[in-house]
Amino acid sequence: MADLKPILLVEDSPKDVELTLAALERCQLANTVIVARDGAEALDYLHARGKFTDRKTSEPAVVLLDLKLPKVDGLEVLEQIKKHELLRHTPVVMLTSSREERDLVRSYQLGVNAFVVKPVGFEQFFEAIQDLGMFWAVLNEPPPHSALGSEQAA
Amino acid sequence: MTQPALLSEPDNHSSSLDLLTCDREPIHVPGNIQPYGALLVLEPGTLRILQAANGTDAILRSDGQLVGAVLADVLPASVFAAVEQVEAATQTPGVSHLGTVRFAHDGGWRSYHAIAHRAGGRIILELEETVADEPGSFEDLYPHVRDFLDSLQAVSSVQELANLAAREVRRITGLDRALVYRFDEDWNGTVIAEDRSEALPSYLDLRFPASDIPAQARELYRLNRLRLIADADYTPVPIEPTLDPATNAPVDLSLSVLRSVSPVHLEYMRNMGTYASMSISLLREGQLWGLISCHNAAPRRVPYHVRTACDFIGQILSLQLAAKDHASLAEQRHARRTIGARLLGHMAAEDHFLDGLIKHGDDLLALTNAAGAAVVFGGTSSLIGDTPASTDVDRIVAWLADRRRDDDVFATDNLAVVMPGSELLKDHASGLLAIAISQVHDSYVIWFRPEVIRTVSWGGDPRKRAELEPDGLRLHPRKSFEVWKETVSLRSSPWLEAEVEAAAELRTAIVDIVLRRAEEMAALSERLVSINKELEAFSYSVSHDLRAPFRHIVGYSQLLKNNEGTALTERGQRYVDTIIESAISAGTLVDNLLSYSQMGRATLVPVPLDMDTVTAEVIRKLDMEVGARTIDWRIGKLAPARGDPVMMRLVFQNLLANSIKFTRDRDPAVIEVGCEPGDGENVYFVRDNGVGFDEAYVSKLFGVFQRLHRVEEFEGTGIGLANVRRIVERHGGRVWAEGQVDGGATISFALPSGAE
Repeated sequence: MADLKPILLVEDSPKDVELTLAALERCQLANTVIVARDGAEALDYLHARGKFTDRKTSEPAVVLLDLKLPKVDGLEVLEQIKKHELLRHTPVVMLTSSREERDLVRSYQLGVNAFVVKPVGFEQFFEAIQDLGMFWAVLNEPPPHSALGSEQAA
Repeated sequence: MTQPALLSEPDNHSSSLDLLTCDREPIHVPGNIQPYGALLVLEPGTLRILQAANGTDAILRSDGQLVGAVLADVLPASVFAAVEQVEAATQTPGVSHLGTVRFAHDGGWRSYHAIAHRAGGRIILELEETVADEPGSFEDLYPHVRDFLDSLQAVSSVQELANLAAREVRRITGLDRALVYRFDEDWNGTVIAEDRSEALPSYLDLRFPASDIPAQARELYRLNRLRLIADADYTPVPIEPTLDPATNAPVDLSLSVLRSVSPVHLEYMRNMGTYASMSISLLREGQLWGLISCHNAAPRRVPYHVRTACDFIGQILSLQLAAKDHASLAEQRHARRTIGARLLGHMAAEDHFLDGLIKHGDDLLALTNAAGAAVVFGGTSSLIGDTPASTDVDRIVAWLADRRRDDDVFATDNLAVVMPGSELLKDHASGLLAIAISQVHDSYVIWFRPEVIRTVSWGGDPRKRAELEPDGLRLHPRKSFEVWKETVSLRSSPWLEAEVEAAAELRTAIVDIVLRRAEEMAALSERLVSINKELEAFSYSVSHDLRAPFRHIVGYSQLLKNNEGTALTERGQRYVDTIIESAISAGTLVDNLLSYSQMGRATLVPVPLDMDTVTAEVIRKLDMEVGARTIDWRIGKLAPARGDPVMMRLVFQNLLANSIKFTRDRDPAVIEVGCEPGDGENVYFVRDNGVGFDEAYVSKLFGVFQRLHRVEEFEGTGIGLANVRRIVERHGGRVWAEGQVDGGATISFALPSGAE
């Protein structure tokens, strides 16, 4: 399973991290979950810089991105990913408490792949994570011609 | 095209006169003089006689010998000495009286006034024969003039002033009748004062048409204030040669005292039974406003100095009348300003300034002395006093707006002639004064005056202008000056200058207020925008931060239950379930609150809506969730509306879901949807036979999170009807409820009709 790409979870709230991990765990996904606690850290991981300069893990299969983050917020991280030539094919799922329409609109404008409002009920949350995780981490292969894919093959 | 005038002299080419050229006849170059003296046209510098007309063969050589001679050779030395300075004396514009000169004749003396002026580069020297026993100078008449000036102090009205002038002029001249004649804005003239002997009939109050004194005559009267015809039977003396030998031009006699008049005018005078006439122009600020017109039954010459005294009286009269006009205008202005200031105060006191005008209709009407008024703003008209019906006012407003003129103030005392089809409004709106108070909307303040039928007495029938003779059309003077009465209809009393000014000032004030209000509104809306932004930021952070803890409570409780559930007692399990349930319910409350706030902020996208389709869709969706219950749906025909489709769907969704919920215990449940037309609106309602509510709490029904039932009876957060109200009100409608405990409920909402 070494070729399984990790899931990058970007989330500042430790409680949400724990709950999300619990949900992912229940999905019994084999992917490693890497947690970044703010937008800057997420970008460091994606660009393999800072404390991730020598990371062993590869580019994520999917980024689960909280919208409201310290330092660099979720929309900005999204924008940087989708602007970057190598990263732009990485699927990004926006996870948010916000029910604000403008966040949704903005996210889609920036090219988000899915937008999920975290439900208050845990069961629904679990279902959402499960669906997302399964879909993006297992089924959704990156396009064959993508730079990311060829780099990984190398 | 004119009848020879009462007072003026159109040209004398009557045999070939045609109606079109008449107005242009050059009455200032008649080529003749009256026979009471001589007229010499002199070349400046040489004082050589170029042209001459001589009615005084007794003292001067005959014409042929005059022309070509120099002045010194034809005048006796004593006379020449008196007129030698003619060149210097005529350097200034106007007519100079050089003095009285005497010629020896038949063993006695004949006296002449030597009068000179310049015209067409020539010096015109006239010798006017004196009248026996005439005053030797203006000073001799001074006592008369002083009496007149003294009497002036005692009179206050324009009428008294005119009476006094007529009386004085007749006293000085000894003529049979003196009239003061005043022009109106159309140059018709009315006799406003008269003094007369029994020899001539009264013309007082008669009106004469403008064509009686055509434009070129009025211009002549403006230049030369005094005219005299001594004998309607005189034989004119021709000027010879007719044309100036150097310039080929006829002599311009505009300023001449001996100028001959048209034979047609003489015929006119004879028809009037007057053989002598004199008129004095009354000028105000250089413009002709009237005449003092004198007549005598028998031929009579008014001496030069007497005429000068009359001219002086005429000028005093003009000045006094101008002063009186100014004073009365100032007085009226002051009165209007006082009312205008009061209206401003009224406007300042009202939330909507125009209410200040509407609530104080008396002042609004008094401002312009009108019988009725309409305040038209933003598509609604408020009528005050005696006005046309509101549909007619709308028509007038449309007409005013259609004119697309830049005039901010419009006034007419004869609406029927300017606005087609407005004759029927004459009883309320023969007179109309309107001010435009907005550049954007068709907004006006309009004042109305009713028709005032007046009778005007004309001096003869002014419509009878031309008479046909066997040799073709020929103008004849009116033969009858019998009073001819005309009824003037479709006119109101005229708007006075001060009244129109007052309206214009009110307009300025209103426009200022409108601008100031607009600025205030702009400031207010700026503040609203910033408050809204704050509110948005607040709800945004609520949306993120308030939901998270609830989610965590639920999440951890669920984990506890799932992972450690077996370790819990049954009671402990129930506690965990309640924690989960409560946190979910708190989360739902937050979600509902947010959606309610979004409802207020979201942009409305109104489109024409088929309300039948909207309800049908909502019912189909709800019906699926109802399950096994029997619901008797009674759906009536709904009027179309204009609204935001998403929001309007939410309205029915909330109302119908409520009905389904509150009829839970009914079998069958009856839910009725219907629509009734109202006044300018359509009323939609949803009625059910459910549990109803206590009318005592109806005021709470539409409040946020207000519930009239215990949560264990009926679920819900109490946001539904609050959303309904917010949506309906944002569509310009209103919402209300009727019901009774166990008697069902009817929720109604009204939306403006006609917008779809």
